[in-house]
Amino acid sequence: MNPSFVLRAVNDVVFEDRPKPELKDPYDVLVHVAQTGICGSDATNRSGTITAIGSRVANLEPGDRVALEPGVPCRRCEFCRKGKYHLCLDLIFAATPPHDGTLARYYVNASDFCYRIPDSNDPGGGRDGRTCQRRGGDREDRGFRGAPDGGVAKAGGAGKIIGVDVVGERLELAREEYGVDGTFMPPKPEEGKDSLEHAEAVSRLIKEEFGLGDGADVVLECSGAEACVQMGVYTLKSGGTMVQAGMGKEVVNFPITTVCTRGLVVKGSIRYLAGCYPAAIDLIAKGKVGVRKLITNRFKFEQSEEAFQLVKEGRPDVFKVMIEGVQ
Amino acid sequence: MPSQIQEEKPQSVSEKANIAPAYPPESPHSPSITKAQVSAAVCQPVTSTNTISYTHDNSKSPIPLPLTAEVASPLAKHHHTCSSCSSAGSCASNDNSSPLAPLPHPLVSKQVDIAPFPASLGYTTVTVPNVRYENVTVLVPPKDSPKPQNLSFVLNKPLDVGFVERPIPKLQSPHDVLVAVQYTGICGSDVHYWEHGRIGHFVVESPMVLGHESAGTVVAVGSAVKTLVPGDRIALEPGYPCRRCGDCLAGRYNLCHEMVFAATPPYDGTLTGFWVAPFDFCYKLPGNVSLQEGALVEPLAVAVHIVRQARVSPGQSVVIMGAGPVGLLCAAVAKSFGATTVVCVDIIAAKLEFAKEFAATHTYLSQRVSAEQNATALKEAAGLGGGADAVIDASGAEPSIQTSLYTVRVGGTYVQAGMGKPDINFPIMAMCLKEVTARGSFRYGPGDYKLAIELVASKKVDVKALVNGVVEFKHAEEAFKKVKEGQVIKILIAGPNEKLETHGELDTGVDAGKLKEAEAAAANSEGGCC
Repeated sequence: MNPSFVLRAVNDVVFEDRPKPELKDPYDVLVHVAQTGICGSDATNRSGTITAIGSRVANLEPGDRVALEPGVPCRRCEFCRKGKYHLCLDLIFAATPPHDGTLARYYVNASDFCYRIPDSNDPGGGRDGRTCQRRGGDREDRGFRGAPDGGVAKAGGAGKIIGVDVVGERLELAREEYGVDGTFMPPKPEEGKDSLEHAEAVSRLIKEEFGLGDGADVVLECSGAEACVQMGVYTLKSGGTMVQAGMGKEVVNFPITTVCTRGLVVKGSIRYLAGCYPAAIDLIAKGKVGVRKLITNRFKFEQSEEAFQLVKEGRPDVFKVMIEGVQ
Repeated sequence: MPSQIQEEKPQSVSEKANIAPAYPPESPHSPSITKAQVSAAVCQPVTSTNTISYTHDNSKSPIPLPLTAEVASPLAKHHHTCSSCSSAGSCASNDNSSPLAPLPHPLVSKQVDIAPFPASLGYTTVTVPNVRYENVTVLVPPKDSPKPQNLSFVLNKPLDVGFVERPIPKLQSPHDVLVAVQYTGICGSDVHYWEHGRIGHFVVESPMVLGHESAGTVVAVGSAVKTLVPGDRIALEPGYPCRRCGDCLAGRYNLCHEMVFAATPPYDGTLTGFWVAPFDFCYKLPGNVSLQEGALVEPLAVAVHIVRQARVSPGQSVVIMGAGPVGLLCAAVAKSFGATTVVCVDIIAAKLEFAKEFAATHTYLSQRVSAEQNATALKEAAGLGGGADAVIDASGAEPSIQTSLYTVRVGGTYVQAGMGKPDINFPIMAMCLKEVTARGSFRYGPGDYKLAIELVASKKVDVKALVNGVVEFKHAEEAFKKVKEGQVIKILIAGPNEKLETHGELDTGVDAGKLKEAEAAAANSEGGCC
């Protein structure tokens, strides 16, 4: 009824035929999963077709093609009530223990967390909802997650966008597909050089090469790498804002005094908020941000394990890996 | 220069008016009664998986409570037998469907360990297993309690009210709680519905219970409620949003288009014995806040929301048009937010005298001159220089709104809180040239109730001072008439099951002359605030 790709223990995955999930709530919908993308944590991008709706669902009908926002909050805590549901401590997030994910034929989701995709969109295009909290200005990114951020920043009216990475293929994609105004590959640090000194030196190079003057208005740190976090702080102009989206080490050497003396604003960014998914779908539907090129590899459901192995290898030419749903 | 308000105020209005004292403070429970004894004495064991037999004796108590079976979730269709009522009639959860086979369900919970409610009042708490899913934890009344009443104050049509016994409401979900309503304040909107039967497009089409400014005690909690237990005294937030629409998810639930709000047609209000609410809309009162003060939390939360919309910050000057309850509370909240100049404006001198005692640093009696002239005089009287940082209109009156735009400084903020005529002549050029930010303010949103309670608990706002008297439930109509007369600020109506220790000596006689004045002042006004 419901073939599922199950993680039993580390490196121990198996296919199981599980019972079809039931709608638990009159506002729930049942989705036949079409595509699931693999992300660093596991799988966060998914879409599908509605097959059943709860008795009080007014916004969707069976047959609708939808993008699924995979984190349903409790709706009652202080965070939910003030509109910061992404911080809800009881968030039910797909494929985060103990909740199952979408690598199965069916998935149950709350109807207000499913968004209709316009017919013109190929459901195979992945969705990364975190494309919404961007501002204009120069910015620095790294990795394929950052690349669409560049596109979003451009769509949002950013003046000059600089992409930064150590992998050439990613910089190329950023240039071709996401319209960044410049790309930069930081040189490796000299042997024995202090990491912070190196970061400062590189940030000076960036500011010079791209005519940023005192620095960038905005830095989007999408890599999580310690060196990049440091570079990010040094590349900002006074009063600028850095958004920490990348997840790397828990504790890094952080130039905190620079934050103080230059009046910087540093913000964390996790997942997405009300309005992000619709905005993302709109950007893709209108062709303002293309995500097709991010999908480098597609697998059938039966090849799920291979797909994960591929992501694990970390090859520079592999960006987003998609697993087709059970037909 | 007008003098600053003194820290030590002269005898306040509340001291003059012989207010009934707060609900008796809770005393430590008697250690001699154990839960097992209670269970044995009060509950029959569940004899089969699909019935609940529950018997109890009624004995005298200040708050007669509903029978346990009556608070069971409507999701559970089950048989029950209560020896104190017939299954056909008085028990509210009267359901004759066939017994269901027990179902495994993720919400079936273990017995919740809850400390007994003070035994000095004769109550104990018991968790009653519910055959379908949830266990419901309830307060059990002592022996010989009178049968619980759910007498309600109902508006049939304008000026036609009555007292009707309504069924005790049931919990609708495991997240709900049942509250015994103990005090309810009267708001301008309640009076407006009473008089006109409508506010804007909200029309009373069938009998509707009035009231929405309430506080009471939790008597039953659903199984998913972790933060409240029976016996908790709470302030009630009376509006419940859908939690799913864009506004709700974005944190602006006061704007939810499917909001269910007490005493706004077609929904009943809280001038009743028992009320069901989702647990997150019931806010526990700290030990030093009385239930009567709890009933003032709703209008105070309105004021908190308004002052937040005005973005008042330390050192600022704030002008408030209208010295009714909301205007007065806005003045007190603005002060607690750090405003150093707080100016109350009204057309009635007596209200301004009170405002000066209560929270205002300055007052101004509005003149019948042009809005610009009025503003000039106001700014001079209060030493506002080029204008106030924030101006709040809590009157709804067209001349006040116009004066507001000339009173606010360049770059300042103007908040529309009062409700009067729906369309007015507005000084739009002033707004543009002075780059004024204008915001509406509607009810209250996330965090407002919590802050309101904190302001009362920390004594930053003395809500008791606004209460002119407390009346027994049976005098509700007289209380409405008194409020309409326009000489009082706030009257509280005790719940139908509440016994006032001393009967508030409020003279509910109404002066016809004053009533005429009030009617004239309210001409062309839609009235109301919620």
